[in-house]
Amino acid sequence: MKSLGSLSLRHKLFGVVLLTTLVALIVALGSMVGYDLRSYHRNLLSDMTTQAVLLGRTTVTALAFDDPKVATENLSVLRFRPAVNSAALYNARGALFATYARKDEQRAFPKLPEVDGLRIEDRDLILFRRIVNDGEILGTVYLRADYELFDRVRDYLEISAGVLVAALGVALILALRMQRFVTRPVLAIAEIARDVVSKRDYSRRATKLSSDEVGTLVDSFNDMLAEIDRRTGELEASNAKLAREIEERTRAEHEVLRLNAELEDRVRERTAQLETANRELEAFSYSVSHDLRAPLRSIDGFGQALVDDFPEHLPEEARRYLDRMRTATKHMGQLIEGLLNLARVSRRPLERRPVDLGQIARQVVGDLQQREPDRAVEVSVWDGMLAEGDPQLLHAVLENLVANAWKFTARKDKARVEIGSLKDQGRTTFFVRDNGAGFDMTYADKLFGAFQRLHAASDYSGTGIGLATVQRIVHRHGGRIWAEAEVGKGAVFYFTLVFDGEQAARISQDFKETQG
Amino acid sequence: MEKTILLVEDNPDDEELTLRALRKANIVNEVFVARDGQEALDFMFCTGKHAGREGQAIPGVILLDLKLPKLNGIDVLNRLRSDPRTKLVPVVVLTSSSEDEDMLRSYQSGANSYVRKPVEFPAFAAAVTQLGIYWMLLNESPPKG
Repeated sequence: MKSLGSLSLRHKLFGVVLLTTLVALIVALGSMVGYDLRSYHRNLLSDMTTQAVLLGRTTVTALAFDDPKVATENLSVLRFRPAVNSAALYNARGALFATYARKDEQRAFPKLPEVDGLRIEDRDLILFRRIVNDGEILGTVYLRADYELFDRVRDYLEISAGVLVAALGVALILALRMQRFVTRPVLAIAEIARDVVSKRDYSRRATKLSSDEVGTLVDSFNDMLAEIDRRTGELEASNAKLAREIEERTRAEHEVLRLNAELEDRVRERTAQLETANRELEAFSYSVSHDLRAPLRSIDGFGQALVDDFPEHLPEEARRYLDRMRTATKHMGQLIEGLLNLARVSRRPLERRPVDLGQIARQVVGDLQQREPDRAVEVSVWDGMLAEGDPQLLHAVLENLVANAWKFTARKDKARVEIGSLKDQGRTTFFVRDNGAGFDMTYADKLFGAFQRLHAASDYSGTGIGLATVQRIVHRHGGRIWAEAEVGKGAVFYFTLVFDGEQAARISQDFKETQG
Repeated sequence: MEKTILLVEDNPDDEELTLRALRKANIVNEVFVARDGQEALDFMFCTGKHAGREGQAIPGVILLDLKLPKLNGIDVLNRLRSDPRTKLVPVVVLTSSSEDEDMLRSYQSGANSYVRKPVEFPAFAAAVTQLGIYWMLLNESPPKG
């Protein structure tokens, strides 16, 4: 079943017109018929009552004189009232006195009069009325008349039906003609709307046929289409822009990926190059170690051979030159050794173990004292200098620093060397202090460069590689090295290793375990 | 029979200095010189230009340089140690190298001793002298099998 909502506008309009017409007619006809039937009923009642009263008056005499004949004559006047079926008079005792009946009437009269009153019975109106004269009841009038209300109702219904059909027909024809004015513009809009939706063509416009609400609707609809058209345009433009951006981004991503790949290639290439360089460096170190020493040994060896084998042929001067050559050879040998050490320090894997720097320092000092037993140096090594690091490399650090201190205090009367540590906020700084030659702080930044020397070789011998090696070892441990000095008063070398309070406790524990 | 020494050395200077140091130390044992790794093996196994040396005594000590043409010292050492005839011959590695790795590989390959050639001749001469005295006079060669 179609719901009301899905009916077409035209049908709805018809429905409204017809329903309105129908209801209006029904109400109008109903009111008229109701009024007419009520008037008929009332008129009939009052007419019959009057008739009964009149009959009462006219038959008073006949009743008083007990003359039924006159009474019958009196009743016969009723033949001029076709609506009256039958009539009768009863005397005071209630006996039938006179009667009248219309020709077609066959029903019997009531035997006894009833009390005053009216009643409708069997499509007839039945009426009884006392005849009273001077306060005395003389008899009763009985009237029976046609009550045609139902016939009237039937007639009216027939007429109403006819009127309704006719009126509805006219209304339908009118509606058919009129609806075009109302529905056509609306249907046109609907048509265009359907078109727009199915073809997505927002450039269509509805034609304005009237300037009523539908006209306003057309305007609004056209405005809306224009707006949609504009928005769609914008949306398409923005979509296109977005698509372009996505494309660009994708291109950029590809570019990034390509660059990444290139970078990885380059990293691989560089790594390979580095590995090659490392291998070459190792090969270089190796050949330095083997091959650079051999010629030195030859120079030194054959120089010595000259001195040994031809003592009488060599003048004093030649001997001195040979000595200088051999000193230079020795120095060259030390330089090679130093460079190899520096290279080795960078190359070898770092081992981390608990180390007692004090113990190492005492060992280093012992070696120095053994090598130069004539030197009187006051050495003090603090206790509890625990650290974590590569024992061999840290040995090299102290060996270099303490040997430097030893060397640069050579010209002091009371040479002093102190090896200790300072703790500050959980960090430990180790130091090697001497009261030796010191150096000018202006050149402090050159101290740790390879082959950098702050003293003339004639004053203090050395290769200039020791501190560079020390610095590299400290850096490999994640620490820092620096120095403070004053010319003629001494120098202090400080260094840290990555080390904090927690580590200190742990190292101390480890150390006890390894020692125990 | 007097013990002999096989010196495997490619550097003629080092060869002469070594021989001179031995002479100066009055060590008169015969010294054979091989100038590359292959020659050292030929000498030991009586092959190549040393064919026909069969029956002669094997050296009381081999002084072996590591950096040699053709076969290097470690290769020579490995070959000597893998042959039953030379498995027990005392070998002293005498080299310029102080690399830990060389030292380790030498001992792993069965060297009896590792001596670094000092740059200064007096120290070098002292080392060679001590070696000569030790291996020629003090040390007892492994019994012949």
